Amino acid sequence: MRNDLTRRQLLAGAGAGALLARPAWSRAAAAPTGKVAVARCKTYGTELLPAMDKMFDQLGGLGGLVKGKTVAVKINLIGVRWQRLGNALMEDTFWTNPFAIGAAVHLMGKAGARRIRVVEGPWSTTESLQEVMFSMNWKPQDILNAADNVEFENTNYLGQGRKYSRFMVPGGGLIYPGYDLNHSYEDCDVFVSFAKMKEHAATGVTLSMKNVYGATPITIYGQDAGVDEPSIRPHGGRGNVFHFASRLPSKSAPQQKDMSLPKEAGFRLPRIIAELNSARPVHLAIIDGVKTATGCETNYGSPRMPQAAVNPGVLIAGTNAVATDAVAMSVMGFNPMADRGTPPFANADSMLHLAEDLGVGLRDLSRNEVLGVPISEVVFSYPAVREKLLAAQKKA
Amino acid sequence: MALNAESIPMRWPAGPLDIARGEKTKGFTAETAEVLRNWQDPASLAVVQGTPVSCLVVSWAAGLPADAGQQQALKPLIEKGKQAGLEFVGLIEGEANKPAAVAAAQSAGLSAVAMEGDAPGSAAVPVIPWNKAAQVRSIANSPVLGISDGVWPGLPQAASQAGGPTNLPWVDSNGAVLLIARALAPDKTVWIDFDPPQQAALATEAYMLAVADPASHGARWVISLDDKLRADLTAGKQPAADTWKKAIDTLAFFEQHKQFRTYQPNGLLAVMSNFAGPNWEAGEEAINLLPRIRQPFRVMARSRAGGASFTGLQAIFYVDREPPDAELRKKLIAFASGGGILFVPSKWPNPEGSPAPAEPYLLFSMRAVGKGRLAVCKEDQPDAYDTVADIQNIMSHRNDLLRLYNAPSANFLYETSAQGGQGVIHLLNYSRRPGSDGPLFYVKEPHKSARLVSPEIASPAELQWAPQEAGGAELSLPRLSVYGAIELEK
Repeated sequence: MRNDLTRRQLLAGAGAGALLARPAWSRAAAAPTGKVAVARCKTYGTELLPAMDKMFDQLGGLGGLVKGKTVAVKINLIGVRWQRLGNALMEDTFWTNPFAIGAAVHLMGKAGARRIRVVEGPWSTTESLQEVMFSMNWKPQDILNAADNVEFENTNYLGQGRKYSRFMVPGGGLIYPGYDLNHSYEDCDVFVSFAKMKEHAATGVTLSMKNVYGATPITIYGQDAGVDEPSIRPHGGRGNVFHFASRLPSKSAPQQKDMSLPKEAGFRLPRIIAELNSARPVHLAIIDGVKTATGCETNYGSPRMPQAAVNPGVLIAGTNAVATDAVAMSVMGFNPMADRGTPPFANADSMLHLAEDLGVGLRDLSRNEVLGVPISEVVFSYPAVREKLLAAQKKA
Repeated sequence: MALNAESIPMRWPAGPLDIARGEKTKGFTAETAEVLRNWQDPASLAVVQGTPVSCLVVSWAAGLPADAGQQQALKPLIEKGKQAGLEFVGLIEGEANKPAAVAAAQSAGLSAVAMEGDAPGSAAVPVIPWNKAAQVRSIANSPVLGISDGVWPGLPQAASQAGGPTNLPWVDSNGAVLLIARALAPDKTVWIDFDPPQQAALATEAYMLAVADPASHGARWVISLDDKLRADLTAGKQPAADTWKKAIDTLAFFEQHKQFRTYQPNGLLAVMSNFAGPNWEAGEEAINLLPRIRQPFRVMARSRAGGASFTGLQAIFYVDREPPDAELRKKLIAFASGGGILFVPSKWPNPEGSPAPAEPYLLFSMRAVGKGRLAVCKEDQPDAYDTVADIQNIMSHRNDLLRLYNAPSANFLYETSAQGGQGVIHLLNYSRRPGSDGPLFYVKEPHKSARLVSPEIASPAELQWAPQEAGGAELSLPRLSVYGAIELEK
């Protein structure tokens, strides 16, 4: 047990994993359960659309969720786009695949969505999402034409909005009491997080919950964000503000509650992610595990963290982000109940545990409804891949 | 022997003048002085024997008391070198008496002198203009134009891991100033002078890059060795000999691929400027940054734009604060009217066309002009990176001719032959060590063949095209430490 925690840190949930006890403020008892569907899907070809359609049916159908509604679909286009994993395409390793995005958009349109806005804050650029996609040789028009009224928005800055939207964390938050985000995250009735099934260097895994972290605008939370007001253009990444607290967000945004909190990414990021998911809840979580990468979230591999492009051949969707990520962790060969010190949370607190305490959802699979293909039939062990890569490395 | 465009220069520090100047610098040692004395000995010419080096650049006059002694002391070296077919260029610097130094050079049989600023009116030997890049100029009687303030290429020593807004590390390259010099004086061979950093032992790859950076941009480095390497070469130490051989092999590689020097930079964007005075910084910085955002480009001297072809261009960035003359403006607007995009600075009087919709965050306000667009910068002194990023954004990645992946510390330069049938993509790795993955190029247009040549591989390698579903094809390269070129044939 850690014995160097201040009372405030304890209140902020520091070392929650090690303590294994729920803090007094925990709203876990009130957290909702979720339905999660699992499907086999080896390729982004003809099997993709029916597999996704079936999953949504298993969840109760998309109609009830999106009919007549404005839907924001947050995809994942993380990192520096010019850094691929060898020759593998970004969409087959680190980024949500465009065919999968197109399929989901199509099904949402078919289910009666009034407007679908595909959103993301790609690295350090004011370019539109179409431009980012063109630069990867994608055909963004295929996504735009997958349903009626589809649009894109780069949410790294003000974009098409006139002001940023404020999202307060129910209960007051752990690190920040609230966040200022691009208007798209408010101007929607349904919020979808469409993530890639990956590990993460700082947070262990990056799934539908971590994907929401990318909603934070660089103009406020980036390394060159404005001091008083948001900058006009996004420059750089979020590390200085969020990972290490080496600078503050723009003063116009809600500020860190307690500056004495640890400046460690493994402490901060899981809390920030949990808070964001509490402040801007996900209505539908989708995880692309058809083709992806092991090791970490983008091309940050190292001898200790070897990476490989892999083909787990699985799709996961759910009505609750915590539950969906818990299922995905099981598919990846991890225990979703793991806490700090146990992989994948060797060096970080569990964002799932923290989100559970914030009342976002439940990570215990037995308390959620898991549908479709049994998890045991689609397990693709990331630790096993790592062991294999490390062994090969040692041999070489 | 007369100086010519094919001469391959090397800085040859030797003699009393270099010793006198060295003694005024921090860290100058007796050993270094000894090496400078040794290199004044004709026997030292063995270092360049059998190499492509054909011209030695010696210190000739600096307005110091040692000038006369220097000219006297170098006589045996010059005599012996000339017998061996070497040319000599005398560098005249500082407060030197230029007419006297030129006369002494003629008397000593030098092929040329090099000096900053204006040459004496009646110079009897060719004078190589030796100016800073921002004051680059050519002189009629010299086939060579010199740039005196080149940078040692690589990742900046102070902040090797520092990234720019692109999160790609900054690199020190001479590419921009060399392309500008070539555009301003296309009939001259450009030499660029820069010395190795003295504070650290340099890896062999550092010298290979020092050769490749200017050579791939159609210019020549005035080879300059660090004190330790010169001392070790003089002492016959094998590691020094190996480093020197690698540098010479790299030099020889570019001599074997002379055709590259006849190619011209190609791209859908042209950067047009007089590259002088208040316009220098914006023009040079744009050309410095475009390779970092992977945007192929051409460089156009404003003075030659009247006769230049705009064929194949999608956009022109007119950099200069002062508007062009009426004739050039007419030509530029005709380009935009025909479907091109003309980017101009804020001080563009009475902009043509009518306002067109544009994203509010862009640095440029857009105007519809015929079938094309006029983009007028909203700010008087825009950020250089934001400027080129917005130009690229407005041009759209859907038109990219080339893309480079997995080479964060590398720049590439795309050049084609006059008829466009042959092309080359120069790839320079400023980290001087291979990355974890080999570089990967996306090429939009179909080509018959692609062949990798490099001083780092024993023989040319045919590259395999990997066609992409959305069009274009990718070429996968092996990991390279410093330099490789993809020869393309249509």
